[in-house]
Amino acid sequence: MPEQPPVRAERTRTAALLDTLRSALGEDLLEAVSAADMDEAAIGPSALLRAVEILRSAGFNMLADIGVVDHLPLSPRFEVAYHLQIIDAAAKPVVPARFRLRVFPDDADPVVPSLVSIWPNANWAEREAFDLFGIKFEGHINLKRILMPDDWVGYPLRKDYPLRGTDRGFVAGGRQGSVPPVDLQQ
Amino acid sequence: MSTLDLSRLESSPDLLISQGDDRDSLVISMGPQHPSTHGVLRVMLKLDGETVISSESEIGFLHTGIEKQAENLFWQQTVTVVDRADYLAPLSNSLCYVLAAEKLLGIDGQIPVRAQVLRVIFTELTRIASHLVQLGTHAMDLGAQSIFMYAFEMREQILRIMEFVTGARMHQSWFRIGGLALDVPVGFIDLLDKFIESFPERLSDMRAILEKNVIIMDRLIGVGRISAEDAIAWGLTGPNLRGSGVAYDVRKALPYSGYENYDFDICVHDGGDCYSRFVVRLNEMYQAWRIIKQGRDRFPGGPVVIDDPKIVPPAKTVIQHSMEALIHHFKLVSSGFNVPEGRIYQTVESPRGELGMYVVSAGGNKPWRVRWRPPSFYNLQALGALAPGNLIADLVAIIGSLDPVFGEVDR
Amino acid sequence: MEMSPHQPYITTKLDEFTAWARTSAIWPMTMGLACCAIEMMSIVSPRYDTSRFGAEVFRSSPRQSDLMIVSGRVSNKMAPILRQLYDQMPDPKWVISMGACASSGGIFDNYAVLPGVDRILPVDVYVPGCPPSPDAVIFAIMQLRKQIEAGGKALVLAKNA
Repeated sequence: MPEQPPVRAERTRTAALLDTLRSALGEDLLEAVSAADMDEAAIGPSALLRAVEILRSAGFNMLADIGVVDHLPLSPRFEVAYHLQIIDAAAKPVVPARFRLRVFPDDADPVVPSLVSIWPNANWAEREAFDLFGIKFEGHINLKRILMPDDWVGYPLRKDYPLRGTDRGFVAGGRQGSVPPVDLQQ
Repeated sequence: MSTLDLSRLESSPDLLISQGDDRDSLVISMGPQHPSTHGVLRVMLKLDGETVISSESEIGFLHTGIEKQAENLFWQQTVTVVDRADYLAPLSNSLCYVLAAEKLLGIDGQIPVRAQVLRVIFTELTRIASHLVQLGTHAMDLGAQSIFMYAFEMREQILRIMEFVTGARMHQSWFRIGGLALDVPVGFIDLLDKFIESFPERLSDMRAILEKNVIIMDRLIGVGRISAEDAIAWGLTGPNLRGSGVAYDVRKALPYSGYENYDFDICVHDGGDCYSRFVVRLNEMYQAWRIIKQGRDRFPGGPVVIDDPKIVPPAKTVIQHSMEALIHHFKLVSSGFNVPEGRIYQTVESPRGELGMYVVSAGGNKPWRVRWRPPSFYNLQALGALAPGNLIADLVAIIGSLDPVFGEVDR
Repeated sequence: MEMSPHQPYITTKLDEFTAWARTSAIWPMTMGLACCAIEMMSIVSPRYDTSRFGAEVFRSSPRQSDLMIVSGRVSNKMAPILRQLYDQMPDPKWVISMGACASSGGIFDNYAVLPGVDRILPVDVYVPGCPPSPDAVIFAIMQLRKQIEAGGKALVLAKNA
C-alpha cells in the first residue's frame, strides 16, 4: 500500500460520513471502508436512494462517474460504482472531497434505482451501464442502448462475452458492398 | 442499425418538447458525418426555421471496445491502447492509467524525479497541442479558416518535439508503469528551448487576432450560457466548468506527478458562455507554457525508470552480462507482472476536464477492469440542455466550445 | 500530349486528358472518424499542404467529392453510414483506407471494430500507420494519381513489372 499523505480535511469529513451511513443503513450496508484513495461504502440496491440522500445532505453535489465492474467468478457479480464529489463553487481553489458508493445488485436480474431525477448526468452513464453490462435502472426515462447499435444482442463488457464478439460475419446494414464480406474460418 | 426514427424522437422524454404547435417544425439529423460536429456525433434536431427547439445527441459511432481490449492485455501493454481514447491528448490518458497502476503496485513514491519532470513537461505540451486543435477547429467552425492554419502550424512544432523524443507524432505510448520507456535524446533541450522561446509571441499573436475580435465576441458572448450550479449538476469539468467561474483544476486540487512544485494559476472566467470557455483555453495555454519553462529550468538528471526488475525490464547492457536480468526480461515480456488486488479511482486534468480511471485489479497480470471517466462524455451530455433556443450556427459554436473528443466519449 | 510548334493546338488522347483533369483536382470528403482524422487535417495545414496537388478542398457533402479517405476505426454502428455515404458519391470515386484501423482493424481485434473497411467498400490505396504521418497520406494520394492515370490498380502494377 502506498504511504499515506497527511490526512486532508476533506477525508476527515468523509470519515464521519461512514459512521452516519453505518447507523442509517443498518444491515443494508455491506461494508464501509476507508480505502487508499477515498472512503467508500458497499451497499445493496435497495439502500441506494437513502445513501444518496445522506450524501447529498452532507454536501456531495457532483456525480463524477457511474462505472460497472463484472467480478464474474465471484458473487455478487456486478458492482455499480458511483463516484461522488463535493465541488464548492465559491472556493478558490476547489479541493473536492470524494466518496465511492459500490452497489451490488442481483446476479441474474440486476436492477438498480436510477439517479436521473437527482443528477441529470446520470442519464447517459446509466444507459451505458445498461448497454454494456445489462444493468437495468428503475425509473430511468429513456433506457436504451447508447454505444452499441440498437439491434445488438448481448452485453459486450460482461466477462462471459468473448472479446472478439459472437458475430464476425458482419454485413453493413444488410447491403452487400461491391466487395463481398470475407468469410474468415477461424 | 441506427436509422433516423422519427417516432422515437417524438416520444422520447429526453427532449424538451415545446408546448406550442409543432406542425411547422422540421426534424433533421446533423451528423454523424458533418464538418462541424468535431467527430462522429449525430445530433437529431427539431427545428423551427433555424432555431433549435430540442435536440437529442446520439453517440456510439466510434465505440472501439477499448475497455474490454484493456482487460486482455498485460498491464504494460495496456498503455498502448489507452492512448487512443482521447486522441488529441494521448499522454494525458497514459498518465492517468500509469499513475493508477503505480498506486496499485505501491511504487508511486519511488518514481524518479527526472521521469516526473519529463511527464509533466510532455503532458503540458500535449495540453497545448490539444488546445490548439480545439482553437483551430472552433475558429474554422465560426468561419476563420486562417486560424486553423496558424494553430496547426504551431502544433507542428510540438509534434516535432514529440517525434524527436518518442518516435511518434500522436499516440506516443512513452509513459510506462515505473517511469518512461526511454530517456530523452541529445538535442531535446535545444528543441524545447526553441519552443519555449518562440511560443509566447505566437500565442500573443493569436490572442491579438482573436480575443477582442468583434466577430468572435459577437458569435460567442452569451451563447451556451451555463451557470455554475448547473455545470456542477451536469458533471462538467475542465475549461467548461472553469468558464463558469468554478476554480476546479485537478492539478491543484489533488496534485500528481509533482504538480505541487510548479507555480501556475487556475484559469477562471465568470461568463459561463462560449466566450468564457474560449478565453480560459487561451489562458491555459499560457499557463502550460509557464509549467514547461519551470520544468526545463528544473531539469534534473538521474534515471527515468525505477530500478525494480520485477516491474521494469533491466537495461540491455545489463542483460548481456547477467542471467538473472535476462530471466526477468523474459518473464516481463512473456507474462508481464502481477499487480496486487485493489481498486483505485485516479484522476488527472486532461485538456477536456477531469479524466478519471477506476482501475480494478484482481491480482493478475492483466487489469481486471479499466473504467474510464471520460470528461467529454459528461461535457457532451450537457448539450441537450444548452441547445434549445439557439440557432444552428450557435449550436455549432457550443459543440466546439464543449470540446468533445469522440474517442473518449465512445471508447 | 503534343504541342504543335506554330499553331496554338495541343493534341492528346481523350484518356490522358480526362486522367489529367481527374488527378489534378481530387476533392476529398471529410470522413474523419478518429485519430487519423487529425493527421488528415494536418495534410491541409501549411507544412504538408495538399493544395499543391489540387486536394485542398475538403467537401463535406459526398455529392461533391471524389475521394473518401476513411481515417480512423470503423465501428459496427458507423459502417452502414459509411456505405451510404459511399453510395451517395458520384462516379468516378476512389477510397483511401488510411491507417491501420481502417485497413485491417488495427490494434482493435474485438467485437466493436470492423476488421478493415474493405469489408464494405472497395479500397484503392491502403496506408499503414497508427496514425500514418501526413507524408504517408500525401504519398497515398500520389499513388492514387498514378492509378488514375494508368486506369486502375492492376495496370499500375503491370506498368511497374
